Amino acid sequence: MGLWKWTWASILLRLILIYFPHNLLNLSSRPELSTPLTSLRRLAEGYWLKQSSMSPYAGSMYHGSPILLSLLGPLTVIRIEGLPPQILCSLVFVIADFATAMLIRAIGRNLKVACSRKFNSLNLGKVVDNPDFLPAGDIAALVYLWNPFTIFTCVGSSTSPIENFLILLTLYGACKRLPPLAAFGWVISSHVALYPAILIIPVIFLLGYGPDSPPRKLFLEKNLTKTGDDILLKQSAKPTYFSWKSVVLFVLWASIFASCVLFLCGLYVKEYGGIHEMIQRTYGFMLTVEDLSPNIGVLWYFFAEVFDFFRYFFLIVFHVNILFMLLPLAIRLNHRPCFLAFVYIAISSILKSYPSVGDSALYLGLLSLFVNELADMQFSFFLFSGYVGVSLLSPVMHNLWIWRGTGNANFYFATAMAYACFQIVLVVESVNAILNHDRKIRKLCTTTT
Amino acid sequence: MALILRILLILLTLCLATTHELNKEEFHEELLLKPLSDRKILSHFHFRHTLPDVTHSHHSLFPKAVFQLVQKFRVRELELSFTQGRWNYERWGGYDPLSSSNAKPPGVELWAIFDVPQHEVDASWKNLTHTLSGLFCASINFLESSTEYSAPEWGSQQSSGKLRYGALPREAVCTENLTPWLKLLPCRDKAGLAALMDRPSIYRGYYHSQRLHLTSSEFGAVGSTTGIVLDQTLTLVLQPDKETGSMYSGSSIYQPNWSMSSLFGREVGGKCVLAESSTVFVLLEGGLVSTLKNTWREKEGHEADNIVVENSWSNPNFELSIPPNKVIEEVTTLHKNPSILYEYSVEDSEASKPFDLEFRWKNPVAWSSPKAPLSASRFLTGSGNERGAIAISLESSGRKDEKPQSLGDFVEKMRVSPSEDKVSPGVMEMILRLPCAVNSAALTIDFDKGFLHIDEYPPDANQGFDIPSAIVSFPDFQTKIDFLVGNSSKKSPMISKLQESRNIQSYTEVLLVPLTTPDFSMPYNVITITCTVFALYFGSLLNALRRRVAEEERHQREIAAKKTVRFPLLFKLLAMLRGQTWEQPPSQSSTSTSLINTKIVIKVIIVAGIAAGWQYYYG
Amino acid sequence: MKNSLFKSTAVLVSLLFLLQIQPAPAQAQSSTTTTMHTNNWAVLVCTSRFWFNYRHMANTLSLYRTVKRLGIPDERIILMLADDMACNARNNHPAQVFNNENHMLNLYGDNVEVDYRGYEVTTENFFRVLMGRHETAVPRSKRLLSDEGSHILLYMTGHGGDEFLKFQDSEELQSHDLADAVKQMKEKRRFKELLIMVDTCQAATLFSQLHSPGVLAIGSSKKGENSYSHHLDSDVGVSVVDRFTYYTLAFFERLNIYDNASLNSLFTSYNPNYLMSTAYYRTDLYQQKLEEVPVTNFFGSVMETIHTDSAYSVFPIKNSRTNNIKISKEQSVDVSDVKQQSAEPSNTVQPGKCPYTNAWNLAIMAITMKDNCIYYIQSHDVES
Repeated sequence: MGLWKWTWASILLRLILIYFPHNLLNLSSRPELSTPLTSLRRLAEGYWLKQSSMSPYAGSMYHGSPILLSLLGPLTVIRIEGLPPQILCSLVFVIADFATAMLIRAIGRNLKVACSRKFNSLNLGKVVDNPDFLPAGDIAALVYLWNPFTIFTCVGSSTSPIENFLILLTLYGACKRLPPLAAFGWVISSHVALYPAILIIPVIFLLGYGPDSPPRKLFLEKNLTKTGDDILLKQSAKPTYFSWKSVVLFVLWASIFASCVLFLCGLYVKEYGGIHEMIQRTYGFMLTVEDLSPNIGVLWYFFAEVFDFFRYFFLIVFHVNILFMLLPLAIRLNHRPCFLAFVYIAISSILKSYPSVGDSALYLGLLSLFVNELADMQFSFFLFSGYVGVSLLSPVMHNLWIWRGTGNANFYFATAMAYACFQIVLVVESVNAILNHDRKIRKLCTTTT
Repeated sequence: MALILRILLILLTLCLATTHELNKEEFHEELLLKPLSDRKILSHFHFRHTLPDVTHSHHSLFPKAVFQLVQKFRVRELELSFTQGRWNYERWGGYDPLSSSNAKPPGVELWAIFDVPQHEVDASWKNLTHTLSGLFCASINFLESSTEYSAPEWGSQQSSGKLRYGALPREAVCTENLTPWLKLLPCRDKAGLAALMDRPSIYRGYYHSQRLHLTSSEFGAVGSTTGIVLDQTLTLVLQPDKETGSMYSGSSIYQPNWSMSSLFGREVGGKCVLAESSTVFVLLEGGLVSTLKNTWREKEGHEADNIVVENSWSNPNFELSIPPNKVIEEVTTLHKNPSILYEYSVEDSEASKPFDLEFRWKNPVAWSSPKAPLSASRFLTGSGNERGAIAISLESSGRKDEKPQSLGDFVEKMRVSPSEDKVSPGVMEMILRLPCAVNSAALTIDFDKGFLHIDEYPPDANQGFDIPSAIVSFPDFQTKIDFLVGNSSKKSPMISKLQESRNIQSYTEVLLVPLTTPDFSMPYNVITITCTVFALYFGSLLNALRRRVAEEERHQREIAAKKTVRFPLLFKLLAMLRGQTWEQPPSQSSTSTSLINTKIVIKVIIVAGIAAGWQYYYG
Repeated sequence: MKNSLFKSTAVLVSLLFLLQIQPAPAQAQSSTTTTMHTNNWAVLVCTSRFWFNYRHMANTLSLYRTVKRLGIPDERIILMLADDMACNARNNHPAQVFNNENHMLNLYGDNVEVDYRGYEVTTENFFRVLMGRHETAVPRSKRLLSDEGSHILLYMTGHGGDEFLKFQDSEELQSHDLADAVKQMKEKRRFKELLIMVDTCQAATLFSQLHSPGVLAIGSSKKGENSYSHHLDSDVGVSVVDRFTYYTLAFFERLNIYDNASLNSLFTSYNPNYLMSTAYYRTDLYQQKLEEVPVTNFFGSVMETIHTDSAYSVFPIKNSRTNNIKISKEQSVDVSDVKQQSAEPSNTVQPGKCPYTNAWNLAIMAITMKDNCIYYIQSHDVES
């Protein structure tokens, strides 16, 4: 089967790249790949500090979670003769990538099953059974595995693959209606990267309503028009009712896991200022954008240039910008929680303080879960060229500015701006396309009845 | 408990020492001149104030500014140095008491030990820097920021965490720093040895280090008599004028002749009347003396050993214009050559008969100065502005006569206080134990270069940032020059300083790290463009969510109908931009215009009402 | 003695309280009209960094030397120099700064007291000095401790443009900022009269926003005009003085003891043909007639003198001898300094042609010596 061939091929490619790391432009220090939060180099430094009985957060090097430190830290110091350093960590990342791809595939299958059931209930089964209807899960998994962003992130020793894996674990658990799994994924991923905390909304929708479907209003209309006609059909349209039970379970599990995580962290950093210090050094570091080194986002340069007395105002504005969109999106897309999760992830990866291409890899992978729905999305070629162009230009500008000293910060920042614009267009257009798709289904519904 | 006991012990010994010999204010001025092997002259001024008993409210000699400083900030010990140029450890010596106590890093270096509770040390330090900056006309107050100073623990001093150390490598050192320093002397620069300090000749030198060292045992054990000792030294390396050496200038092997007037452009017109002693020394170091002995032996066939001491100021090799009051020879172990000190008292000279010592060479000589066991140098490696590394290399200078140390070149002890961004500097202290056979050792430390806010860059940001010198000291190698001094009751401060046993210490180079700079000229552009992108995101996404396509189409049709296709091309373009096919609107007129109008009116009224309410409550 | 002092201070304190009780506006009015001219201060600012701006430092130091020669003591001069020229590696006359290619006068003599230098010269510190808003740790020598009877000379030089003056090539002082600072100073009663003298391109534009009474301003050029340097010293390698400052100094060097020179004569002494720009002065905020105001109101010094009938003994007999010796030494020293330094900075006027200059300087020095003496005693009193 093609899927597996390509999957193994991609893993083989990763292994080869890991084995020859020095040929590859010193990937581990690329600002596009490793941010101050995800850099494995910093994690190793934090582990060293911990081992020499200092606070892992001393020296403004490490800003990640103590859990990651205790899991990956020991792996960073193990050296194997004849193999590049930190090979074990790289292997962990390869495994994480593979697992992520498998989770994407599973979610895709789940979505397809749910979708075909819903469409059948709307008498639109022919849309799904159409040979043009692509196996979205397989495509998405392959897109994720073969995305150059993913490959470079995996090889460039940053912890993003693990964060991505945790996020997908959350979604998978929610899709499969496994509240403990979803709660575990959500708690850990929020703890590690903070931004996935906003995924609680799609997770609750997923647990409550089930996976993506056409708007629920259609089913109601359908039911109204066909009252008494078909009891069986009515039965299958039942998931429109919100299942409180699994949501409550989720909340319960989430609070259990959260307290566990807090307890473990507290235990780990007890001698070094306690949990308060940890929160300040991790979440505080994320939210106040302390590190102004260049990355592919826009905030670093903004906060390097903005006048000091406006700093807090803009910090609040930019973070609230993420929160402001949560509610409108949740209202409008509540019937498509998976897609909602994709939009949230995309938004947070545009606006987060230290973005990397690993985040983009994740949302691009999720985007391809909706190939069928987004088939008539606008500007797709334009966006594709934009992504390619930016990802080629950005390293060039970085090199000119930092290494050769011939360029200027503005050139690099311009590519970051362009990248942000492309991502925004992508998000807006995909939302537009999914809404149009819903309209089309509604039209189909009305015409078929 | 043990620590406290030890401190107490030290205090007690200090107290004993001070009570024993001092019970009145004293001021000594001294100048030491020493020919260096590379045809330069080291001149080292030493002024010492001693204040025996601080319970006296009146003191006539001791500078009040310094006294108040000690009182106010409870300074136990303090050293401030202003230095221009770099001490050449290879040529000017690295293994003698003069170099290890007077060679300082370029710029300003300040360290102080306070006698205040631990939590007040930083505040005291901050106030001290401000006061010193006012006193010495320098930007020492930049050391108050926590990124500029550190608290090393393994320095040579017993500090118990109350030592603070800071350095400003790029601080300019000029006349305005010297003048207040001279004002601390009772005769300022108007009389005595300080009158030699002609600014242009001083600042023309190769090395210039002005130092103020303060030791107070004032806050010691309860009720004991205590004191403050203020040492002011000025170390200069000067090149004698070529003209005065013209007698032998045909050959370059001749050392240049010099006199005090040719070095400084001034003469000493008598001692400072307030000084207890006013002395000039000429020091010939061991290496030079042995060379002289050899040449003398060759020429005259004399048994040189005793001749060097007797009548040595005018011998076949060189001549001193004035016979010294005293010749002092070093007491040495067997295989070391003794150095010789000629002592002159300036007390007899007066304005009409100024003291001007001249030193004339008769034979060419060449010698070399003793070097430190390992010469340390520090440099930057790496290119680009993302990361780099600091490398410290220790090179052996070929001294292998000392007893072998324990084997293995490993770090015996290490203390790191990692740097917090914009909060504190990184300090690494290491004790290395290297075997004697080691020829060179290198140490590299990788670092990432940070990016700062535009306000945090200095005005000349492109020049880069300075990393202060590292200090290398060799605790197992001590240096001192023991002189046979006849009457020990009136010991000269200079000689007692030379006789103190000190660790060999040297400073490495200051590093200049270039940092990437953002564009300083366009904060407004960055702010507006970024905000535009955010507005684009917010607006377009909200618009996409809010849209009711069916209604919009209907609405558009109505508007188009109303406008009766005045600009068909424009509409076509608009429609194309919106990605819709434009169709000729149906000609029937709509009836909903009045409805829309009422809607607008209602909206306007609501907005106006809110505005009025707002105005009423908050205006 | 101590008792009487205590009484007088008590009276003073009660008077102060009485003053406080009065309504504020009346007080403000009275302060502008009735307060005595008590002392003089000078704030001299060189805002330019880098070697090629040598002339700006020379300008500032020339003014520094002039006001010091005319009697303002170092304690009352705030000197801000943005870079180190005297001991700059490019200077082949170490520890010396010249404002003329004849090198007759070393502006960087043995007694320069720089209060703010290098990176400390920022707009922030400049405003802190003007408004007196310092951290508590900042020493007195770095503060402008003027009062409502002070006459302040504010001299600035550097690179400027329309309504701004550049600080250190990275910051800008705008005319609005300057006007606000002056206004605050007036409200905090930090000066009686203020003379702002600016030597920069388009200097006149810097005064456009000023609106506080008692402020007099003079700039080297009008809007749209550049200010030029006077001449190049090929030995130093750069231009050493600006035209406006050069002719200001020439004016002060030409003064003799019998000219009771007024500000007007200073202001009208600038010849646009020599300056290559038009000196602009703004007098609408200043009440008195310029013809009647002597230049020494700003460039010289007035000090509070206390008349005592009996001898005022401060030190116990034991110590007084040495202290007297010290003071007399300082005085003699200062006079000799003045003798050394009073050479001409200008090319045109030769030293021989002004027989009175030296005598005049000495006369002024004698007065300040006396004042210095009193000041010394007072300060001792305060500190002990």
